[in-house]
Amino acid sequence: MFSRREFLWRSGGGLGGIALAALLARDGLLAADDRSDQPLPHRPPKARYVIQLFMSGGASQCDLFDYKPRLIREHGKPWNPGEKVELFQSTPGHTMAAPWGWRRYGECGKWLSDAVAPMGDVVDEIAFIHNMVSKSNVHGPATFLQTTGFTLPGFPSMGAWISYGLGRESDNLPTFVVLPDPRGFAPNGPRNWSAGFLPAVHQGTVIRPSSRTPVHDLFPPPGSFATPEGDRAALEVLTRLNRAHLAMRPEDARLEARIRSYELAARMQLSAPEVLDISGEPRYILDMYGITAPDVDWDGPMNEGRELRYFGLNCLIARRLVERGVRFVQVWSGADNGFPRRNWDSHEDIRRDHWPLARAMARAVRALITDLKWRGLLDETIVYWTTEFGRMPCSQGSKGRDHNPFVFTNWLAGGGIKGGVTYGESDEWSFKPADPNHVTWGYDVHATILHLLGIDHRRLTFRHNGTDRRLTDVHGHVIHEILA
Amino acid sequence: MTDLRRPCALTLTLLVAAAGVAGETWWAYRPLRPFPVPVLQTASDAQLRNPVDAFVARRLQDRGLGFSPEADRRTLIRRLYIDLLGLPPSYDDVQRFVHDRHPAAYERLVDRLLASPHYGERWARHWLDVAHYADTHGFDKDKVRLNAWPYRDYVIRSFNQDKPYGRFVMEQIAGDVLFPDSPDGVVATGFLVAGPFDWVGQIEVRNGTVEKKRVRNLDRDDMVTTVFNAFLSTTIQCARCHEHKFDPISQEEYYGLQAIFAAIDRADRPYDPDPKVAAKRRELTRRAESLQQAVARLDRTIHERLRPVLEPLRRELDRLMAGITAEGKRPEFGYHSAIEREPWKEKWVQVDLGRAVPIHLIALVPCHDDFAGIGAGFGFPPRYRVEVADDPQFRNATVLLDLTETDQPNPGLVPQAVVLEPPVVARYVRVTATKLAERRRRNDFIFALAELIVLDAEGRNVARGASVRALDWVEGPPRWRVSNLVDGIYVGEWSVERLRQLAALQKASRRALARAEVVRLRQQRASLAAELAEVQQQLAALPAQQLVFAAATDFKPIGNFVPTRGRPRPVYVLRRGDVKQPVEPAVPGAIGCLAGMPRELGITNETPEGQRRAALARWIAHRDNPLTWRSIVNRIWQYHFGVGIVATPDDFGRMGERPSHPELLDWLAVWFRDQAGQSLKRLHYLLVTSTTYRQTSFVVGPMARRAQRLDAQNRLLWRMNRRRLEAEVVRDAALAVADILDRRMGGPPYRNFKFIDDHSPHYLYHDYDPATMETRRRSIYRFVVRSVPDPFMEVFDFPDPAVVTGRRNETLTPLQSLVLFNDPFILYVAEKWAERLERQWSDPASLVVAATREALGRDPSPEELELLSDLVRDHGTAYLCRVLLNLNEFLFVD
Repeated sequence: MFSRREFLWRSGGGLGGIALAALLARDGLLAADDRSDQPLPHRPPKARYVIQLFMSGGASQCDLFDYKPRLIREHGKPWNPGEKVELFQSTPGHTMAAPWGWRRYGECGKWLSDAVAPMGDVVDEIAFIHNMVSKSNVHGPATFLQTTGFTLPGFPSMGAWISYGLGRESDNLPTFVVLPDPRGFAPNGPRNWSAGFLPAVHQGTVIRPSSRTPVHDLFPPPGSFATPEGDRAALEVLTRLNRAHLAMRPEDARLEARIRSYELAARMQLSAPEVLDISGEPRYILDMYGITAPDVDWDGPMNEGRELRYFGLNCLIARRLVERGVRFVQVWSGADNGFPRRNWDSHEDIRRDHWPLARAMARAVRALITDLKWRGLLDETIVYWTTEFGRMPCSQGSKGRDHNPFVFTNWLAGGGIKGGVTYGESDEWSFKPADPNHVTWGYDVHATILHLLGIDHRRLTFRHNGTDRRLTDVHGHVIHEILA
Repeated sequence: MTDLRRPCALTLTLLVAAAGVAGETWWAYRPLRPFPVPVLQTASDAQLRNPVDAFVARRLQDRGLGFSPEADRRTLIRRLYIDLLGLPPSYDDVQRFVHDRHPAAYERLVDRLLASPHYGERWARHWLDVAHYADTHGFDKDKVRLNAWPYRDYVIRSFNQDKPYGRFVMEQIAGDVLFPDSPDGVVATGFLVAGPFDWVGQIEVRNGTVEKKRVRNLDRDDMVTTVFNAFLSTTIQCARCHEHKFDPISQEEYYGLQAIFAAIDRADRPYDPDPKVAAKRRELTRRAESLQQAVARLDRTIHERLRPVLEPLRRELDRLMAGITAEGKRPEFGYHSAIEREPWKEKWVQVDLGRAVPIHLIALVPCHDDFAGIGAGFGFPPRYRVEVADDPQFRNATVLLDLTETDQPNPGLVPQAVVLEPPVVARYVRVTATKLAERRRRNDFIFALAELIVLDAEGRNVARGASVRALDWVEGPPRWRVSNLVDGIYVGEWSVERLRQLAALQKASRRALARAEVVRLRQQRASLAAELAEVQQQLAALPAQQLVFAAATDFKPIGNFVPTRGRPRPVYVLRRGDVKQPVEPAVPGAIGCLAGMPRELGITNETPEGQRRAALARWIAHRDNPLTWRSIVNRIWQYHFGVGIVATPDDFGRMGERPSHPELLDWLAVWFRDQAGQSLKRLHYLLVTSTTYRQTSFVVGPMARRAQRLDAQNRLLWRMNRRRLEAEVVRDAALAVADILDRRMGGPPYRNFKFIDDHSPHYLYHDYDPATMETRRRSIYRFVVRSVPDPFMEVFDFPDPAVVTGRRNETLTPLQSLVLFNDPFILYVAEKWAERLERQWSDPASLVVAATREALGRDPSPEELELLSDLVRDHGTAYLCRVLLNLNEFLFVD
């Protein structure tokens, strides 16, 4: 049983909660002060936080996690899957093995490629799903399918749904934080963390840890007339004037909410820099995440050392955010397409581009999972690795691979996920699911994550233009096989 | 009552089914009923200013409630300014109105505001939310859409002109077809395409693929959705994958609507912004078309006259040409002149036979080259002459064949031969092209010839291997060489005998063409053709057309994005909305659930594309369509009162809200349609001059406190709703009170971001310094980027232009407060405002009084004066301005 205040905090989150209260009051739902029958969570939650790691551009399942001996045996031979294959920008070339080796790791004996070898140390925490499928082989729509559950723009991101469903846990930080790749936004840009038709409070707040202004408008711009003393005095005057205005209009909860929003904003001014200040982290932590890594000798547009410094820092900040009660952190590896290449879309050369990205990702992931475990946070934090689609088992007439929407890999760890398991198989090529009647959609992964957070994905809905919208549209099944 | 967490869709279907509502016509689909205005015994006449008040008062009376008192004049003028113009009144405006003793002071103010051009800017923005307008394409690459803005200006213009609503509807669906004579016709269809455009899917994805079908299906889905959500408040899109779960709309009906839009794409389309030029262009185009038809008619007549003579000749020619094909042709094509940009250049090529010889026959053999898709007859001039002479300068030339008067049809591979009886003795033979052959795809002109054959009395080709001279030439061995003209290499094999037969044929046909009657007809044709050329020149001399991103069937192809040229693409009813599962061809039509409106539009799959849209436009704008009129009066009501009579303006179906005042809604719809001439300005006037609108938003007195308990959400309108300013109004009002607003109207949008046109474009708002802002125009003129929202506008709930938004969210968040307090734009405005104030006043108290009057339209209270004066003294005038812009009183309108 929650008090009204707690209910509002939880259901709407902070000021959104107050805005929601206004909404509910308008609809006559809050006639009584307390409501004991509020519906969330639907079941006791296993997890409280989610860290979504998004590999933008299409990370190759068959070069990282999905071991296929046949590709090695038939490397360089004509590839014939026995059907016409419609690719995004090419016609199928020869069968192509990963440009590096494979080894088994952990108690589970999972095969991992050398590019992600560091993950071998934490592989027993991870559940792999190898029969993921997508509706689109175009970056934008396919990315949306993973971030919002729809291929079209206009829908709320998973983090926004979770914010809407569970509300705020931290008084000082947003519920949903996004750490973009410092090179730029992924396809669809900020729409990947949009609140869609949900109230704006649920949208992802962008934090750029390596930027001079990590949070937009958190402070006045440098060089302006504003001073800390002036701001303090101005906020005090503002509050007093707003209070006098409110006194004449006491029934309007929004006016009170706005006054409080400045208090919350002021608290964010204190807490956000604190999250980003890693000077107190011990050296071995910084080393583990690779934040201190030097550039390595490598001929290509991307460098393992630099990738580690970006992605490792973002993973460390993600941990610090979760520690402070941020419910959903979306971490991006890779920006949109541009020259030189700056994402996982390795049409030209898997070895040149996937290696530095994957090595850095694997080291940062090992650090993140290990660190969360040390702190006892892994039990309640789901680490969710995804990408918009996979890559073809054949070459693109070069050393690269074209998009494969027919099969790709996701993996999850922590927060009630059973470690060391593999669920769902791809065929012998890693071209399509082994069983066409048994495929896994992003909807299923989303449903599973909501389930662990105590939410029935069919019951978390929002009425918009005539439809009760859900994260999982009309789809989604909880994957019980990967639950602990 | 809105439950934010409704049971899932399936459960609700069951509930609806169980309740057995299917038998009854849903309220929104019933015909409009002209309900009588209620006659109320108890209310005072002063309170019932117009019929709106009577309907509202009756529902209030039913609950034992009544109107709240009228708001004071300062509140009313701010409310009207924000509502009708989206700008705050100046302090002078407020003072004038507060002290205006005219009995109709309020009504005169309303009239004045409705006549302001800023009215159109304010209300167009509401409509652009519905049209989900933006200046980029959206989706992953989010390319710029440079020509969207003429549609935005059209909407502003339409509101300011108070265009009858039915006309406004029809223009936006089929203006190009229904009103081709209006400058708005083409531009208005920007509505249909205002939504996102899948650049990668349309341009990069190959045609014929499943992905492409999916892309097109979703593209049409957006058009159907936009039209039905916007004009009919109907969520048609629910029927894409299955029959609509809640409303009586079938998949057949849904795909029938897609079929209406099956020939149009989203692309730039030319138009004339100046109606005079448009009229001139239409007149000239019509003349050109009729001239073209007259020429074609004459061609047919000439053909008919000549057929009896030419037909046997043609058969004879076919016999001679049998078996001649370019297949396996030798690479030595012939002679090729220099390339020209226009056809009227004379060019010649000649052979020197070495000595004067008696010439019996001359034959010109055409070239064959597949370059630019031409093939047979490549470079053969449409006008030419053949002459001989004894001197290489041709000073005393004898013309043997003169075909320079009219264009000759291209001969293909048929040599053009002439027999000389008696033979002519000469040393030099020259072919002169007086009009060059066009290479259509290259837009240039040349003269080419494979072989020049000159036979003497013995039938020897005396030109073979002779020396060749020409005015100019292109050398491209082995294909093109001057000497190729006499190398004996050409397509076909021609014996002396067959060349003679050919020459006889061609002579007979030339004689037929030279008959007086034919010559007369051909002269007529030539004069018509000259007239046509003149008209075409005039057309070319008109001012260049502008481009608007609109519904288009013809445009320059880009990659895999090719126009339909008006031929609708096939549309199928799709099982589960899956393009891989077509069930049957869709039949274009409307929906059948509206009482009194037939589903059939009188169109079929044979109906031309424009007529399909025209039929739907007429159906929607039909006076008997109950949704159209209810939808628009409800939208206008909502923007004035904060909530519509139906709270879900884009959904009047079963998943939407029911009307709070159904009889008022119908009365307004009928009145608007029939009495008000579909004038939105008259509708605004009716609503804002009502007692209902003029109420205070405060909860004052015992009635209001009782009402607050009975109807906290104020659906019965016992007071006015207080509203937070929309994103645009926040920004415009800040610029206006600082007096740095640039009021210029229309034209290309301003960009408040740094733009990097990479493989995928980047829109960097943070790298933009508002102090360098070249323009401080109203926010409706902002360049709207779909993928990367302007952080300032987004935090104030500017909607995602991916979807139709009939009602914006109204949120209050800590980020919003941070933006309003710290954003460089606000600090810049505060600084500029402060600079001006300091030029006018020097002591803090005067500064505070002036600034408060400008921001809020009133004097500061003694407490405010003291607090703000201290702030000015301690931290500067800019701080005063920044605080005023952050006040709740500034951000809300009572």
